[in-house]
Amino acid sequence: MKLKVFVDRLSQPARAILIFCKANGIEFEEVSLDITKREHKKPEFKAINPMGQVPAIVYGDFQLFESHAILMFLAGLFGVPDHWYPADIYQRAKTQCVLDWHHSNLRSGAAPYIYNTVLAPVFGVPTNPQAAAQADKLLAASLSHIESLWLKGDGTFLHGAAQPSIADLGLVCEIMQLELVDEKDRERILGPHKKILEWIENTKNATKPHFDEVSEKLYQAKAIFQKQRTSG
Amino acid sequence: MKLKVFVDRLSQPARAILIFCKMNGIEFEEVSLDITKREHMKPEFKAINPMGQVPAIVYGDFQLFESHAILIFLAGLFGVPDHWYPADIYQRAKTQCVLDWHHSNLRSGAAPYVYHSVLAPVFDAFSPVFGDTTNPQAAAQADKLLGASLSQIESLWLKGDGTFLHGAAQPSIADLSLVCELMQLQLVDEKDRERILGPHKKILEWIENTKNATKPHFDEVSERLYQVKAMLQKQRTSG
Repeated sequence: MKLKVFVDRLSQPARAILIFCKANGIEFEEVSLDITKREHKKPEFKAINPMGQVPAIVYGDFQLFESHAILMFLAGLFGVPDHWYPADIYQRAKTQCVLDWHHSNLRSGAAPYIYNTVLAPVFGVPTNPQAAAQADKLLAASLSHIESLWLKGDGTFLHGAAQPSIADLGLVCEIMQLELVDEKDRERILGPHKKILEWIENTKNATKPHFDEVSEKLYQAKAIFQKQRTSG
Repeated sequence: MKLKVFVDRLSQPARAILIFCKMNGIEFEEVSLDITKREHMKPEFKAINPMGQVPAIVYGDFQLFESHAILIFLAGLFGVPDHWYPADIYQRAKTQCVLDWHHSNLRSGAAPYVYHSVLAPVFDAFSPVFGDTTNPQAAAQADKLLGASLSQIESLWLKGDGTFLHGAAQPSIADLSLVCELMQLQLVDEKDRERILGPHKKILEWIENTKNATKPHFDEVSERLYQVKAMLQKQRTSG
């Protein structure tokens, strides 16, 4: 049975799934959609994910969306190393806690911040500085929470783990989206968080060369935005 | 080892955990916090959940927050019937999909809608979470997301003749979590509740199915919610 993964590499959770599959040698067909061209809203894709969002997967007859559910499903189906999604009920609960927390915290801060500062015009929508300011605040609080709750001490990954889980991957891919914003803002937001910066590097290292390879489209978009900013 | 569950019965996810535990005969000590008095923000509780949110649990040395993680943990720890969190990898993925979808959809619609239309003026303790003042614009936006979410639940997961999500014959933790969220709409004006829920016959049926499958615990645990509903109704008629 063939695994099909529907993604746009500009999407944070889509990248997490691609990196996860490549790091674990999971064979799949990547079906690329361009969200800037609203390909994810077309009927052909909505037949696969009625929510019209990437990422989504198809495995035989089985369709699934929501990146965390997908990562857990793939981890179980392909029997990946335990550190990705620990079998121990306590460790698993800790990983689950972070994954759940993510939706209303880091994701709810980072994604709207980036959208309302740099991405909205790409989608033909005016930027919303008020929404950006609110998201900025939540993003900052979220980064502080990650450090104080889960990056205490000398651990390499969340909860002091020696190797990454799907929670590390999901959250770091989210934070990477900040590559799109102006360097001054990125420095302002991430600069104070040394442990976060270290953790991002640790996660990239643990999943190389896939992390940067999958992030190439993001880096290209970053370069476009930088050029636009300097040429004004 | 004793299980301690830190809750305010006014909290939707807290109620889901209480109903789940009672349904499954899981012994626990309920530690009640009053979120309207900001008891969840106090240092003693933050020592248990640094996020300062209910629900949270303590089991021996182990502390856990986020209601879905808690439900999944308890389901595994106490070996509850399979329908709550199926072992089958495909069924489990479907349940997990709903649980994940919930945060940014139903929850992000229902909770701010209820807050910005009825709760904010009454319970300013909520302001650290949702903002300082009532915000009709935020209520309207949340209303829209709530409406979309209800339609999605019906079209994605309540198609056909199934009693519960995904056509299941018995409830999962996803059914319980989402229905507890919807029950918070008991707090809004009857006209608004009718406007929002009235068009969604399958949703209404599903709420009743979930209540039935978990009685008498569902209504018993929801008693505080019903009391607050009565209080708000009184204010509306006298105000």
